[in-house]
Amino acid sequence: MVAEPKIVAFLCNWCAYAGADLAGVSRIGYPPNIRVIRVMCSGRVDPVFVIRAFEMGADGVLVGGCHPGTCHYVSGNLEAEKRMANTKKLLKLIGLGPERLRLEWISASEGGKFAQVVTEFTEDLRKIGPNLLKAQVNVKAPIPYTKQMISDAVKKTNVQYCLECGKCSGSCPISKVNDTYSPRRVVERSLLGFEEKVLSGTDIWTCLTCFLCSERCPSDVRFPEFVRACRRMAPMEVMEELCAHRGIPMALSRMMINPKIKQDRMGWLPEGAEISKRGDMLYFVGCIPYLDVVFEDFNLELLKIPKSVVKILNKVGIKPAMLSNEKCCGHDMLWTGDLENFEKLAKKNVADFKKTRATKLVTACPECYRTLKKDYAEVLGNFDFEVLHISELLSELVDKGELKFDGGLSTKVVYHDPCRLGRHMGVYEPPRKVITSIPGVGLLEMARNRENAICCGVSSFMSCNKYSKEVRMDRLREAKATGADLLVTTCPKCQIHWKCLTSEKPPISPEMVTMEMRDLSVLVAEAMH
Amino acid sequence: MKANQSVLVIGGGIAGIQASLDLANRGLKVYLVEKTPSIGGRMAQLDKTFPTMDCSICILAPKMIECFRQPNLTILTYSEVQEVSGSAGNFTVKILKKPRFINVEKCTGCGVCAQHCPVEVPNEFDMGIGVRKAIYVPFPQAVPLKYTIDEEHCLKCGLCQRMCQAEAVDLNQKPEVAHLNVDAIIVATGFELFDAQRRSEYGYGKYKNVLISLEFERLLSASGPTGGHLLRLSDGRIPKRIAFIQCVGSRSLKGGVSFCSSACCMYATKEAILIREHIPECEVYIFYNELKVFGKGYQDFVTGAQTHWGVKYIRALPGEVVQDSKTGDLTLWYEDTIENVTRSIEVDVVVLCPALIPRAANKEVGVILGLELDEHGFFKPKDPLFAPVDTNVLGVFICGYCQSPKDIPESVAEASAAAARAAEVIALSASKEVH
Repeated sequence: MVAEPKIVAFLCNWCAYAGADLAGVSRIGYPPNIRVIRVMCSGRVDPVFVIRAFEMGADGVLVGGCHPGTCHYVSGNLEAEKRMANTKKLLKLIGLGPERLRLEWISASEGGKFAQVVTEFTEDLRKIGPNLLKAQVNVKAPIPYTKQMISDAVKKTNVQYCLECGKCSGSCPISKVNDTYSPRRVVERSLLGFEEKVLSGTDIWTCLTCFLCSERCPSDVRFPEFVRACRRMAPMEVMEELCAHRGIPMALSRMMINPKIKQDRMGWLPEGAEISKRGDMLYFVGCIPYLDVVFEDFNLELLKIPKSVVKILNKVGIKPAMLSNEKCCGHDMLWTGDLENFEKLAKKNVADFKKTRATKLVTACPECYRTLKKDYAEVLGNFDFEVLHISELLSELVDKGELKFDGGLSTKVVYHDPCRLGRHMGVYEPPRKVITSIPGVGLLEMARNRENAICCGVSSFMSCNKYSKEVRMDRLREAKATGADLLVTTCPKCQIHWKCLTSEKPPISPEMVTMEMRDLSVLVAEAMH
Repeated sequence: MKANQSVLVIGGGIAGIQASLDLANRGLKVYLVEKTPSIGGRMAQLDKTFPTMDCSICILAPKMIECFRQPNLTILTYSEVQEVSGSAGNFTVKILKKPRFINVEKCTGCGVCAQHCPVEVPNEFDMGIGVRKAIYVPFPQAVPLKYTIDEEHCLKCGLCQRMCQAEAVDLNQKPEVAHLNVDAIIVATGFELFDAQRRSEYGYGKYKNVLISLEFERLLSASGPTGGHLLRLSDGRIPKRIAFIQCVGSRSLKGGVSFCSSACCMYATKEAILIREHIPECEVYIFYNELKVFGKGYQDFVTGAQTHWGVKYIRALPGEVVQDSKTGDLTLWYEDTIENVTRSIEVDVVVLCPALIPRAANKEVGVILGLELDEHGFFKPKDPLFAPVDTNVLGVFICGYCQSPKDIPESVAEASAAAARAAEVIALSASKEVH
C-alpha cells in the first residue's frame, strides 16, 4: 500500500488562496492530499520553507501566486519565480528532484485551475513516489542543561582559570564594534551562577568562534569551545531567530543524514576530469555545489574551486576518489550545538570514506579540514585518515619542484588567513609558499595576519548583523589598503560573507565593499593553464 | 686555619656585588666573575629605583668602586666559569678569561681609541637603541674602567692601536685560563627579558613606538641614547600620551611563563612618575591585571602616583596594539573591566612590561655545578622556606633573581644571606665540620 502523497501548499492571500476558496465554494472536487498555508504574497515564500517542508516529510510543495503583472504587491510574484527556480536547483542537488516543487499562477477567479493543478500534482507525485527522506526527521533537540554539564564545560575549556583581565574583549572583533558584547562577561556570568542567563541569551550566538581571544588569553581559556558547549544546551528559538539565510545550508546538511538520500551533486565535474570511486586520496568537496546555488546572485563562480582542485590533482598525476553521495562534514552542526546530528553525519561519512579505500583526505575548505582532521577524531574516538588542506598538498609539491606553471600571472595579491585554517589548525605558511611560487605573483600582507588575522565576520551563518557587517567592511578595507589587486583566501565561506555586503540594504557604495577575490586553488589552476 | 678562605661569586649584578662585599669586608677572599666587560648588571641600566627614587647608578657605583678597591676582592670581568670539581671547602674552578685585546695593566680608560674606531654596532647596554664602537666600555661608570674590543665586529684595522698613547691594545691577545681553589660558591646570575615579540598582538619589533620597559628605562636615563630626553623613536616627537601594558608573557598558562615577575607593577609606576616629571603634559596610562605592590611603602608609592602624579590606572589587559603606518601613532584596544565597556585609546608610545625570566644560560651553570633547576629555569633552593639560599650541592649558594623573582632590596638581603652561609662553610671547614 503506497502512502498518499502529502502536498504542502503556500497560497498567496489575494489570488491563489482565493482561488482555492472559490474551488471549495463551487464544490469543485480535488484530492485531499493538500495542506494549505496562506501567505500574503507568493514572494513571501522563502526557499527554506520549501526545504523544511521536505525535511519534515512533505512529498511535494505547491506555491501559488498571482499572475505576473497582477501581483497585489506589484512584483512579489516575480521574486517568487526567481526563488523557486533557485530552490528547484537545490532540490535537484539534494536528490529530491525539481518536479516535487511546483509554482503556479492561480488567480482568484480560477477555482477550476486550482483544482486541476492539485489533481495533476497529486497524480504526478504518486508516479514519482514518496519522499524517502521523511523516514527520519533530524531536527536538533536541545539538551536540558544541568549544573554538572556546565561545570564539565567549564573545566574542559579552562574557563575557571579566567583572570578577568579583559584581553579577550580587547581582541574580539565584535566587541570592538558592539561594546555590550564581552567574552569576559559571558565567562564571568557563567562562573558566578548566572548560567541560565548565559544559555538563554544571544551572547553565546554572537561569538564568531574565530579563536582570536583564546589565542591571546594568558590563562588558555578556550572561549569558543565553551560557547560551543553552551550552544548545545541553549534553547532552539534563539538560534533559529539569529541564523542567517534562515538556516538553509543546515537544513540541507541535516537531510543528508537520511540513509535514503541520493544526491545529484557531481554535475560540475568538467569533461575529461579523471576521478574514481576508489583511490588512495579522496577529494572531499564539501557543500560548495549547494552554496553555489544558494548564493547564486553573488556570481562568485564557486564551482571553479572544485573544478580547479580536480584539474590540479589530475595535472600532478593524482586521480582522486570522490563520493557521488558525499555528505556535509557537519561543521555548522557542531558549532551550533547539534552534536547528535553531527555524530550521525560523521559516522556516515567515515563509512563512505572506508569504502573508497582512501588513506588520505584532501579538501579545499578550511571548515571541512578542521572538522575532518580534528573534530571527527575527537567525537568519534578514532579516525584513521590523514587529512590535508589543498594548500598543504600544493606546498609539498612546491617543495618537491613538482608544481609547474605554464605562464604565471602578473598581479599583486594579499592573502587572508581563514580562522579555521589559521588559528584553529595552525596552517599559515603553506598557502603563502604556494602563492609566492607562482611566477609574477607578488604577495602582500595585511598588518593583521597569521595568528592576528581578523575573521571575515560570520561563522556558521550565525549572528550576521550590523556588527558583523562592520567587521567585514573593516577587513576588506584593510585588504584594499595594501594596494593588492586580488584578495586571495582558501575559504569559500569567507568569500561568500564578504560578497554578501554587496547585497545589503541600503546599499553600501561599491568601492567600500568590493574587491576582486580568488580562491587559492583557482589562482593556481589559472596559472597552470 | 686553611690557606684558602675564599669564595667564588658568579654574576656581577647587585646581588653578586653585595655578597662579594660582605665576604671581602670580613676578611675573606672573593673572586667575582662576570661575563660582560663590567660589573653592575641590570641595576646599572636603570634610571631610578623604587620606592626611594634614588638615582640607580649613583647608589650602585660606590659599591662597584668598593669592589674594585677592596684588596680581598678580585674582579674577573669578561670571564666565564667553565668547570667546577671538588666539594664544599675545596672546589677547583676553571675560569676562561675571554680576550679583551686590551692590556688592562696599561689601559687608562681615556677613550681615545673609541673616538677613532670606525665601527658602530648597536649598544647592548642601551638595549640596542644607541650605538657603541667595536672598542668600548659598556657604560661610563664601568668597573673596571678598561676598554674591550668586541671580536665579532672588530675590523682589525689597527686604528685604536695607533691612537692609544698607553700602547694598551694587543690584537693578538689570547684567551686565558685561570684555576682557582675556593671553599664555597655563590651563584647570582640575575635575569633576562621575555621575548615580547612572542606576544605579536602588541607589535613589538614591528612598530617603532612599541618599546619594552628596559628600553624605555634607557630613554629616561641621562646616560642613555637620547641623553635622558623623552622622545619618540619613530619621529623624535615629544609624546603626549604613553601607555604601559603589564604582564606581557607573565602569569600565562600558555604563550609565556606562569609566574609573576614581582617587580613590574612597581617599576611601571616608577617609570610613569618619571614621565610625569619629565613631561608634565604627558598623560600616562598603566594597563594592569592586579597591582602587586606588597613591599614596605609600595602601596603608598602607587597611591601617590595616582593622586599626586595623576598616573591613570586602567584595569584591563589590552587585546592588541594597532599602528597608523603614516604617523606611527598607536591605538590600543581594551575592555575596561571596571566600567564594562570595550574601548580604544590612541597613544604615542606603548611600553610593554615583559616577564623577567631566569637566564637561559642557567642551564649550563647548573650542569657545571650540579645544581637543580625548576621548570622555569630558576635554581632550586634546598628548601624554599627554611633554606632558601642553599642548594642541593653543599657549599654552593644562590641569591637574587636567579633564585626567584624579587626586587633590589630583596636581592641585597638575600645576597647577604648567601654570603653568611658561604662564610659559615669557611668557618666550619677550618674546624673540619661541614654541614
